[in-house]
Amino acid sequence: MSLTAVVWAATGALFSFGLAIVVLRRQLLAMLLGLELMLAAVNVSLVHHAGMFDDAEALAVVALVIAVAAAEAVVGLSLILRMRRGGRGADAALLTELQG
Amino acid sequence: MAVFAALVAGIVAVFFAGVMLLHRSLYVSAVSLLVVLLQTAVLFILCGSPLLGLLQVMIYAGAVMVLVVVTIMAAGEEGARFADFSFPRPLAWAGLLAAVLEIALLLSRGDAPAAVAVDPALQAQLGAVLFRPYALATEAVTLLMFLAALAIAPRREAAS
Repeated sequence: MSLTAVVWAATGALFSFGLAIVVLRRQLLAMLLGLELMLAAVNVSLVHHAGMFDDAEALAVVALVIAVAAAEAVVGLSLILRMRRGGRGADAALLTELQG
Repeated sequence: MAVFAALVAGIVAVFFAGVMLLHRSLYVSAVSLLVVLLQTAVLFILCGSPLLGLLQVMIYAGAVMVLVVVTIMAAGEEGARFADFSFPRPLAWAGLLAAVLEIALLLSRGDAPAAVAVDPALQAQLGAVLFRPYALATEAVTLLMFLAALAIAPRREAAS
């Protein structure tokens, strides 16, 4: 068994679980955790690609993705907290103001 | 042995991702995500990128997960249904056992814990790439993180 097989299997499984969490769970916080899981899965395959082909640009992309994911988590969590304090709950099905 | 360590890290990461999907408590989901992120950091190191593995532990598993757990705790009464603040003991033991197994597999080899032969100059090239061809993207991300810090600043109440 090679490292490439292990990495691709782990990447596919982690991304699938992240996508399933975003689609199936209705709490906003759980959906945010699923997004973070998907980003982490993509980072694993990018780092493996960088190591296999000595590609420093892939490592730079991973560093940028980590920073963007941290910013996204901060903004998402502050929005969720503001919605909870505003009494609108944390269930995605209840947020219907933008529906036509 | 490093490939077996990667296999253990991948299996543990996928298992705890499954726990994230299936468990009802948001607190258990957050701690499971913490385990997944630590295992992905191990995979980063095994793929020959210790710097990004360290960044993953510091930023993701450190700062972001602390924010998530604090947010769950600050959720109040409405979130209490989903925030059972007790982590299942078998899961905790599984995570601890996996960490011990990975360390044993890595130390049994006795040299640098990388499963692929990586050019030593690759880590040095990362800085050059970030601040030359990707300089604009790096500055944009820096600005984005500054704006994200403003998002959590307390809002000043208007004087009535």
